Amino acid sequence: MASVLASLQEWYRDRRAKLDLFDETMVGQQANPLYLLGPMLYYFLIVTVVSGVILMFWYEPTPAGAYNSILHIQHEVPLGWLIRGIHKYAADGVVICIILRIFRMYFLGEYKKPGELTWIWSFAGLILAMISGITGYLLIWNQRAFWAAKTVLSVPVYFDELTAKIPVIGERFQVGSMIAYLFLGGPAVGAATLTRFYALHFGISIVLLVVAEVFYYRTRRVRLNMSLFPILLFTAMLVLTSYILPAELGRRADPNRTPLPILSDWYFLGLYQYVKYTPPLWAGLGPGLLIGFAMLVPFLDRSKSRRPLDRPFFFVVGVLALVYWLVFTALIMFNIAVIEREPPLVLLGTILVLSLALVWELRHRRRQARAAASAAAPPRRPAGATGHS
Amino acid sequence: MAQDQGIERRRFLKLAAGLPIVGGLVAFGSPLLRFLKPNVDPFALITPTTKDAATGEPVVVATMAELVKPWDFKYFVFTQKYPQYTPDGFKTQAVPGVVIRLPAKVRLPWGWLRGSGETPAFAESDIIAFSRICPHLGCIYNFVPEWKEVTSGYGGYVPPPDKRHALMACPCHLSIYDPADPTQPGRVLSGPAPRPPLTFLYKIDGDRILIERVEPGGIA
Repeated sequence: MASVLASLQEWYRDRRAKLDLFDETMVGQQANPLYLLGPMLYYFLIVTVVSGVILMFWYEPTPAGAYNSILHIQHEVPLGWLIRGIHKYAADGVVICIILRIFRMYFLGEYKKPGELTWIWSFAGLILAMISGITGYLLIWNQRAFWAAKTVLSVPVYFDELTAKIPVIGERFQVGSMIAYLFLGGPAVGAATLTRFYALHFGISIVLLVVAEVFYYRTRRVRLNMSLFPILLFTAMLVLTSYILPAELGRRADPNRTPLPILSDWYFLGLYQYVKYTPPLWAGLGPGLLIGFAMLVPFLDRSKSRRPLDRPFFFVVGVLALVYWLVFTALIMFNIAVIEREPPLVLLGTILVLSLALVWELRHRRRQARAAASAAAPPRRPAGATGHS
Repeated sequence: MAQDQGIERRRFLKLAAGLPIVGGLVAFGSPLLRFLKPNVDPFALITPTTKDAATGEPVVVATMAELVKPWDFKYFVFTQKYPQYTPDGFKTQAVPGVVIRLPAKVRLPWGWLRGSGETPAFAESDIIAFSRICPHLGCIYNFVPEWKEVTSGYGGYVPPPDKRHALMACPCHLSIYDPADPTQPGRVLSGPAPRPPLTFLYKIDGDRILIERVEPGGIA
């Protein structure tokens, strides 16, 4: 028991020492722009937090005043449009960087030893960024935000179906509703929801920033591991985008009318389409399982090689995730969802593709084993086959 | 042997010191919960949502003259008071509804009244009142008089021939309901909704339709 604990501690200490959240110093290819994603992430995070704090000078977190204060920031406060645009687009930058970085880490096997902790933190970062996103866009108090908050917080209510299965206390032990009410500040979206979301939106960023700061302090890593040129470039991009494409305001929230069609922020669109397809309990469980799977990937994938084609199954799962995300996003943009026709197709397709991936994986392993065996027999062959049991 | 005993003693002491700390943390949980959700009774962790029910006042929403022909309908708003964890302590929130004249009588889905002790004056009618809060995730769905608009605007669903009449459809996740289903009014024809929409208890007072209560449940 004690030795297990000690080895776990050892494992953790080693991974913590090699944690690579923003600086990308643990990888070789510094010249490859793909490895700029870490510092970019940190840059956009800082810009988002700073511009967000500036916006707080003018923002008013009440249902009656929120939308007006945003109008005021956007149209009347000198340079308000710029701060707001930078805040919005830098936040999008954070999400884009995390998503790209996660896909890079996945396909290049960077989650393998010693990158397990880095992977888990990055994925947790994605989830926190998405929570920041949804709590942030409610603050505008427009139609999109209002209905997003309401639907997202209706999802946990269905967890009551699960707790209801607990004998004796189950019927009254409504954990799901309680979770929803804690975030909503009551059983309806209202003033309490706005202040709670405001607190979370600010709190998550500040906590993340403090954690990052502690990380830098303890590891003596470089804060912003990129040269001046990309920093200036990204700043110019933020300013230019804010000018050309001012951050949207949408229509003021109207609790009595849901517009048709209605969309969410871009990174939730795929999930939104999934929620159309599935029974509401699975709207919560599905993403939960996906997050669980993603967190466990470093421990599920035991193959040694980092090359994507050397681990066919996990490669296919990654491609599938990417394809679903893009296709679902496209479908929802065109408001297509025939619920009788599409979910069975999606399910069948998934099962088929995953089975084929499994076959590919098995064949690949057998081929590797054969290559290893034949490499072992004549001693003068070059040791090209990596050991794979 | 002696060493083993030493470790045992240390573990025992750790445990003895740790238990009150864990207990203290658990005891801290209830007040923290009450900070976030002030209408929970102290230590009532098993029944956290009992005091969140909403209350509403009866309201006249339409006259019979407005609902003469089949598929005549009228939108209305039923106002309820919800607990809200703000200094006011409550929030007045509208429950949008629709009252519809159906082409034929249906059995009104008022089974939810059973526990309340109330018994409605009639069990069948061709007038029905639904809450327009979608029972799926709480958006406001629409009464669509023309089914073709459902096909064009709500994802491409084509109703079967016997359902080609006015339908109800939700913009958010495209659930589609049949208000006139003879056995289960509001039946889900398509989409992820788990059940038909909530209904209102109403009574007919001379020429007026008086909404009394809304079926409890869901987030407003």
